[in-house]
Amino acid sequence: MLWKKSRQPLTAENVSLLTVLSAAIFVAQMLNWPLPGGTSLHFVGGALAGMLLGPFLGFASMTLVLVVQCLLFHDGGITTLGANILNMAVIDVLVGYAMFKLIVDLTGNKRSSRVAGAFLGAWLGIVLAGLACGLEIGLSPSFGFPVGVTVPVMVGWHALLGIIEGVITVLVIEHLYLRLPLGALPSTSLGVVKR
Amino acid sequence: MRASNFIKSKRAWIAIALMLIVSPVFGIILADMVGYHEPLDLAAEAAGLRDVSEEISWTPFFDYSVPGLPDELGYVVAGALGVAVIVVTGYVAMKIVEERKGCDACLKAR
Repeated sequence: MLWKKSRQPLTAENVSLLTVLSAAIFVAQMLNWPLPGGTSLHFVGGALAGMLLGPFLGFASMTLVLVVQCLLFHDGGITTLGANILNMAVIDVLVGYAMFKLIVDLTGNKRSSRVAGAFLGAWLGIVLAGLACGLEIGLSPSFGFPVGVTVPVMVGWHALLGIIEGVITVLVIEHLYLRLPLGALPSTSLGVVKR
Repeated sequence: MRASNFIKSKRAWIAIALMLIVSPVFGIILADMVGYHEPLDLAAEAAGLRDVSEEISWTPFFDYSVPGLPDELGYVVAGALGVAVIVVTGYVAMKIVEERKGCDACLKAR
Protein backbone atom coordinates (compact mmCIF):
# COMPACT_ATOMS: atom_id res chain seq x y z
CA MET A 1 0.00 0.00 0.00
CA LEU A 2 2.86 2.36 0.91
CA TRP A 3 4.51 1.38 -2.37
CA LYS A 4 1.31 2.21 -4.28
CA LYS A 5 0.89 5.50 -2.40
CA SER A 6 4.44 6.58 -3.21
CA ARG A 7 3.79 6.47 -6.99
CA GLN A 8 3.12 9.80 -8.63
CA PRO A 9 1.14 10.26 -11.82
CA LEU A 10 3.34 10.98 -14.80
CA THR A 11 2.09 14.48 -15.57
CA ALA A 12 3.66 17.22 -17.69
CA GLU A 13 4.08 19.25 -14.46
CA ASN A 14 6.09 16.48 -12.80
CA VAL A 15 8.22 15.92 -15.90
CA SER A 16 8.87 19.68 -16.06
CA LEU A 17 10.22 19.69 -12.50
CA LEU A 18 12.18 16.49 -13.16
CA THR A 19 13.88 18.11 -16.18
CA VAL A 20 14.99 21.25 -14.32
CA LEU A 21 16.14 19.27 -11.27
CA SER A 22 18.10 16.82 -13.45
CA ALA A 23 19.86 19.69 -15.25
CA ALA A 24 20.70 21.33 -11.91
CA ILE A 25 22.05 18.08 -10.41
CA PHE A 26 24.08 17.40 -13.57
CA VAL A 27 25.78 20.81 -13.34
CA ALA A 28 26.17 20.62 -9.55
CA GLN A 29 28.05 17.33 -10.01
CA MET A 30 30.53 19.15 -12.27
CA LEU A 31 31.53 21.36 -9.32
CA ASN A 32 34.26 19.17 -7.89
CA TRP A 33 35.70 20.58 -4.68
CA PRO A 34 39.36 19.49 -4.72
CA LEU A 35 40.84 18.25 -1.48
CA PRO A 36 44.54 18.24 -0.59
CA GLY A 37 46.00 14.86 -1.45
CA GLY A 38 44.59 14.75 -4.96
CA THR A 39 41.00 13.77 -4.32
CA SER A 40 37.77 15.74 -4.48
CA LEU A 41 34.12 15.76 -3.50
CA HIS A 42 30.98 16.83 -5.27
CA PHE A 43 27.28 16.99 -4.52
CA VAL A 44 25.45 13.81 -5.62
CA GLY A 45 21.81 14.88 -5.26
CA GLY A 46 20.05 11.49 -5.21
CA ALA A 47 18.45 12.07 -1.81
CA LEU A 48 17.39 15.59 -2.84
CA ALA A 49 15.74 14.17 -5.97
CA GLY A 50 13.89 11.62 -3.81
CA MET A 51 12.70 14.31 -1.38
CA LEU A 52 11.50 16.65 -4.15
CA LEU A 53 10.15 14.15 -6.67
CA GLY A 54 9.39 10.99 -4.69
CA PRO A 55 11.10 7.64 -5.31
CA PHE A 56 9.89 6.87 -8.84
CA LEU A 57 10.49 10.24 -10.50
CA GLY A 58 13.61 10.70 -8.34
CA PHE A 59 14.95 7.45 -9.82
CA ALA A 60 14.14 8.68 -13.34
CA SER A 61 15.87 12.02 -12.68
CA MET A 62 19.10 10.49 -11.38
CA THR A 63 19.13 7.81 -14.10
CA LEU A 64 18.85 10.53 -16.76
CA VAL A 65 21.82 12.36 -15.23
CA LEU A 66 23.96 9.20 -14.99
CA VAL A 67 23.13 8.06 -18.54
CA VAL A 68 24.05 11.47 -20.00
CA GLN A 69 27.32 11.50 -18.02
CA CYS A 70 28.17 7.99 -19.19
CA LEU A 71 27.14 8.12 -22.86
CA LEU A 72 28.10 11.69 -23.69
CA PHE A 73 31.22 12.17 -21.54
CA HIS A 74 32.41 8.62 -20.78
CA ASP A 75 32.08 9.58 -17.11
CA GLY A 76 31.55 6.52 -14.94
CA GLY A 77 31.96 4.03 -17.76
CA ILE A 78 29.44 1.81 -19.52
CA THR A 79 30.29 -1.35 -17.57
CA THR A 80 29.74 0.41 -14.24
CA LEU A 81 26.54 2.22 -15.28
CA GLY A 82 24.34 -0.42 -13.65
CA ALA A 83 26.21 -0.17 -10.36
CA ASN A 84 26.14 3.62 -10.46
CA ILE A 85 22.37 3.60 -11.09
CA LEU A 86 21.86 1.14 -8.22
CA ASN A 87 23.96 3.24 -5.82
CA MET A 88 22.89 6.78 -6.73
CA ALA A 89 19.49 6.44 -8.45
CA VAL A 90 18.01 3.64 -6.32
CA ILE A 91 19.68 3.51 -2.89
CA ASP A 92 20.42 7.23 -2.43
CA VAL A 93 16.99 8.30 -3.77
CA LEU A 94 14.99 5.74 -1.74
CA VAL A 95 16.88 6.29 1.51
CA GLY A 96 16.69 10.09 1.20
CA TYR A 97 12.97 10.02 0.44
CA ALA A 98 12.11 7.50 3.18
CA MET A 99 14.18 9.19 5.88
CA PHE A 100 12.82 12.68 5.13
CA LYS A 101 9.22 11.44 5.05
CA LEU A 102 9.64 9.32 8.20
CA ILE A 103 11.07 12.17 10.28
CA VAL A 104 8.56 14.80 9.10
CA ASP A 105 5.65 12.35 9.55
CA LEU A 106 6.78 11.36 13.05
CA THR A 107 7.72 14.77 14.42
CA GLY A 108 5.35 17.05 12.51
CA ASN A 109 6.04 19.77 10.01
CA LYS A 110 8.38 22.09 11.86
CA ARG A 111 11.48 23.74 10.54
CA SER A 112 13.61 21.56 12.82
CA SER A 113 11.91 18.41 11.48
CA ARG A 114 12.47 19.39 7.87
CA VAL A 115 16.11 20.27 8.56
CA ALA A 116 16.71 17.02 10.47
CA GLY A 117 14.89 14.96 7.83
CA ALA A 118 16.74 16.54 4.92
CA PHE A 119 20.15 16.32 6.62
CA LEU A 120 19.82 12.75 7.88
CA GLY A 121 18.18 11.58 4.65
CA ALA A 122 21.00 13.01 2.53
CA TRP A 123 23.72 11.79 4.93
CA LEU A 124 22.37 8.25 5.28
CA GLY A 125 21.64 8.05 1.54
CA ILE A 126 25.27 8.81 0.70
CA VAL A 127 26.66 6.50 3.39
CA LEU A 128 24.53 3.55 2.26
CA ALA A 129 25.35 4.27 -1.40
CA GLY A 130 29.04 4.25 -0.38
CA LEU A 131 28.49 0.95 1.49
CA ALA A 132 26.91 -0.57 -1.63
CA CYS A 133 29.82 0.65 -3.77
CA GLY A 134 32.31 -0.80 -1.25
CA LEU A 135 30.54 -4.18 -1.43
CA GLU A 136 30.38 -4.10 -5.24
CA ILE A 137 34.07 -3.39 -5.78
CA GLY A 138 35.15 -5.58 -2.84
CA LEU A 139 33.21 -8.56 -4.22
CA SER A 140 34.40 -7.96 -7.77
CA PRO A 141 36.98 -10.56 -8.83
CA SER A 142 38.69 -7.90 -11.01
CA PHE A 143 39.42 -5.53 -8.12
CA GLY A 144 42.35 -6.49 -5.97
CA PHE A 145 41.07 -5.28 -2.59
CA PRO A 146 38.77 -7.42 -0.43
CA VAL A 147 35.48 -6.31 1.15
CA GLY A 148 37.26 -5.94 4.49
CA VAL A 149 39.24 -3.07 2.97
CA THR A 150 36.78 -1.51 0.50
CA VAL A 151 33.74 -1.28 2.80
CA PRO A 152 35.41 0.56 5.73
CA VAL A 153 37.17 2.97 3.33
CA MET A 154 34.04 3.76 1.32
CA VAL A 155 31.74 4.05 4.36
CA GLY A 156 34.25 6.13 6.31
CA TRP A 157 34.86 8.64 3.53
CA HIS A 158 31.17 8.86 2.62
CA ALA A 159 30.25 9.46 6.27
CA LEU A 160 32.42 12.60 6.07
CA LEU A 161 31.32 13.64 2.56
CA GLY A 162 27.71 13.07 3.63
CA ILE A 163 27.96 16.04 5.99
CA ILE A 164 28.47 18.40 3.02
CA GLU A 165 25.73 16.60 1.05
CA GLY A 166 23.40 17.01 4.03
CA VAL A 167 24.10 20.74 4.43
CA ILE A 168 23.50 21.46 0.71
CA THR A 169 20.30 19.35 0.72
CA VAL A 170 18.97 21.22 3.78
CA LEU A 171 19.66 24.60 2.13
CA VAL A 172 17.90 23.62 -1.12
CA ILE A 173 14.91 22.02 0.63
CA GLU A 174 14.38 25.01 2.96
CA HIS A 175 14.84 27.50 0.11
CA LEU A 176 12.24 25.73 -2.05
CA TYR A 177 9.88 25.18 0.90
CA LEU A 178 9.82 28.90 1.66
CA ARG A 179 9.64 30.07 -1.98
CA LEU A 180 7.24 27.68 -3.68
CA PRO A 181 3.49 27.75 -3.10
CA LEU A 182 1.73 24.67 -1.73
CA GLY A 183 0.95 22.18 -4.49
CA ALA A 184 3.84 23.23 -6.73
CA LEU A 185 5.71 20.02 -5.98
CA PRO A 186 4.49 16.46 -6.68
CA SER A 187 2.52 14.65 -3.99
CA THR A 188 4.31 12.18 -1.66
CA SER A 189 7.34 14.46 -1.57
CA LEU A 190 8.07 17.86 -0.02
CA GLY A 191 4.89 18.97 -1.80
CA VAL A 192 2.62 17.19 0.69
CA VAL A 193 4.24 18.77 3.73
CA LYS A 194 1.52 21.04 5.11
CA ARG A 195 2.32 24.67 5.89
CA MET B 1 4.60 29.36 -9.58
CA ARG B 2 2.79 26.44 -11.22
CA ALA B 3 4.76 23.23 -11.41
CA SER B 4 4.47 23.19 -15.23
CA ASN B 5 6.38 26.47 -15.26
CA PHE B 6 9.50 24.98 -13.71
CA ILE B 7 10.97 24.44 -17.17
CA LYS B 8 10.32 28.14 -17.90
CA SER B 9 11.68 29.35 -14.56
CA LYS B 10 14.23 32.08 -15.29
CA ARG B 11 15.56 31.90 -11.74
CA ALA B 12 16.32 28.17 -12.04
CA TRP B 13 18.09 28.54 -15.38
CA ILE B 14 20.11 31.54 -14.15
CA ALA B 15 21.28 29.44 -11.19
CA ILE B 16 22.20 26.57 -13.54
CA ALA B 17 24.03 28.97 -15.91
CA LEU B 18 25.99 30.51 -13.02
CA MET B 19 27.06 27.07 -11.81
CA LEU B 20 28.14 26.21 -15.36
CA ILE B 21 30.21 29.40 -15.70
CA VAL B 22 32.13 28.81 -12.46
CA SER B 23 32.45 25.04 -13.03
CA PRO B 24 35.96 25.16 -14.65
CA VAL B 25 37.31 26.81 -11.50
CA PHE B 26 36.44 23.61 -9.63
CA GLY B 27 36.59 20.95 -12.35
CA ILE B 28 39.79 22.14 -14.09
CA ILE B 29 41.80 24.87 -12.32
CA LEU B 30 41.60 23.73 -8.68
CA ALA B 31 41.66 20.08 -9.76
CA ASP B 32 44.99 20.68 -11.55
CA MET B 33 46.33 22.56 -8.52
CA VAL B 34 45.82 19.60 -6.17
CA GLY B 35 46.75 17.03 -8.85
CA TYR B 36 43.32 15.45 -8.81
CA HIS B 37 42.93 11.79 -9.69
CA GLU B 38 39.76 9.75 -9.21
CA PRO B 39 40.38 7.75 -5.99
CA LEU B 40 38.84 4.57 -7.39
CA ASP B 41 41.07 4.84 -10.47
CA LEU B 42 44.12 5.10 -8.20
CA ALA B 43 42.95 2.09 -6.17
CA ALA B 44 42.39 0.13 -9.39
CA GLU B 45 45.91 1.02 -10.59
CA ALA B 46 47.32 -0.08 -7.23
CA ALA B 47 45.47 -3.36 -7.72
CA GLY B 48 47.26 -3.83 -11.03
CA LEU B 49 44.46 -2.79 -13.39
CA ARG B 50 45.17 -0.64 -16.44
CA ASP B 51 43.02 2.38 -17.31
CA VAL B 52 41.78 1.81 -20.88
CA SER B 53 38.95 4.35 -20.81
CA GLU B 54 40.60 6.72 -23.30
CA GLU B 55 41.47 3.84 -25.65
CA ILE B 56 37.87 2.57 -25.82
CA SER B 57 36.17 5.97 -25.66
CA TRP B 58 33.24 6.38 -28.10
CA THR B 59 32.65 10.08 -27.55
CA PRO B 60 34.46 13.21 -28.77
CA PHE B 61 33.53 14.83 -25.45
CA PHE B 62 35.61 12.49 -23.30
CA ASP B 63 35.84 13.68 -19.67
CA TYR B 64 33.93 16.94 -20.38
CA SER B 65 36.32 18.18 -23.07
CA VAL B 66 35.53 19.59 -26.52
CA PRO B 67 38.00 19.00 -29.35
CA GLY B 68 39.80 22.21 -30.35
CA LEU B 69 38.80 24.18 -27.25
CA PRO B 70 40.97 24.94 -24.22
CA ASP B 71 40.13 22.77 -21.21
CA GLU B 72 38.35 25.53 -19.26
CA LEU B 73 36.09 26.63 -22.12
CA GLY B 74 35.57 23.04 -23.21
CA TYR B 75 34.34 22.16 -19.71
CA VAL B 76 31.66 24.89 -19.88
CA VAL B 77 30.61 23.99 -23.45
CA ALA B 78 30.48 20.27 -22.56
CA GLY B 79 28.34 21.10 -19.51
CA ALA B 80 25.98 23.19 -21.65
CA LEU B 81 25.75 20.29 -24.10
CA GLY B 82 24.84 17.90 -21.28
CA VAL B 83 22.17 20.31 -20.02
CA ALA B 84 20.80 20.64 -23.57
CA VAL B 85 20.49 16.84 -23.92
CA ILE B 86 18.67 16.65 -20.56
CA VAL B 87 16.31 19.51 -21.52
CA VAL B 88 15.51 18.03 -24.95
CA THR B 89 14.87 14.60 -23.37
CA GLY B 90 12.63 16.16 -20.71
CA TYR B 91 10.82 18.31 -23.26
CA VAL B 92 10.07 15.34 -25.52
CA ALA B 93 8.85 13.36 -22.48
CA MET B 94 6.62 16.30 -21.49
CA LYS B 95 5.10 16.48 -24.97
CA ILE B 96 4.48 12.71 -25.02
CA VAL B 97 2.77 12.89 -21.60
CA GLU B 98 0.66 15.87 -22.70
CA GLU B 99 -0.34 14.09 -25.91
CA ARG B 100 -1.30 10.94 -24.03
CA LYS B 101 -3.38 13.01 -21.63
CA GLY B 102 -5.12 14.63 -24.61
CA CYS B 103 -5.80 11.22 -26.18
CA ASP B 104 -7.25 9.90 -22.88
CA ALA B 105 -9.58 12.94 -22.67
CA CYS B 106 -10.67 12.31 -26.30
CA LEU B 107 -11.46 8.65 -25.59
CA LYS B 108 -13.46 9.58 -22.49
CA ALA B 109 -15.47 12.19 -24.42
CA ARG B 110 -16.52 9.58 -27.05
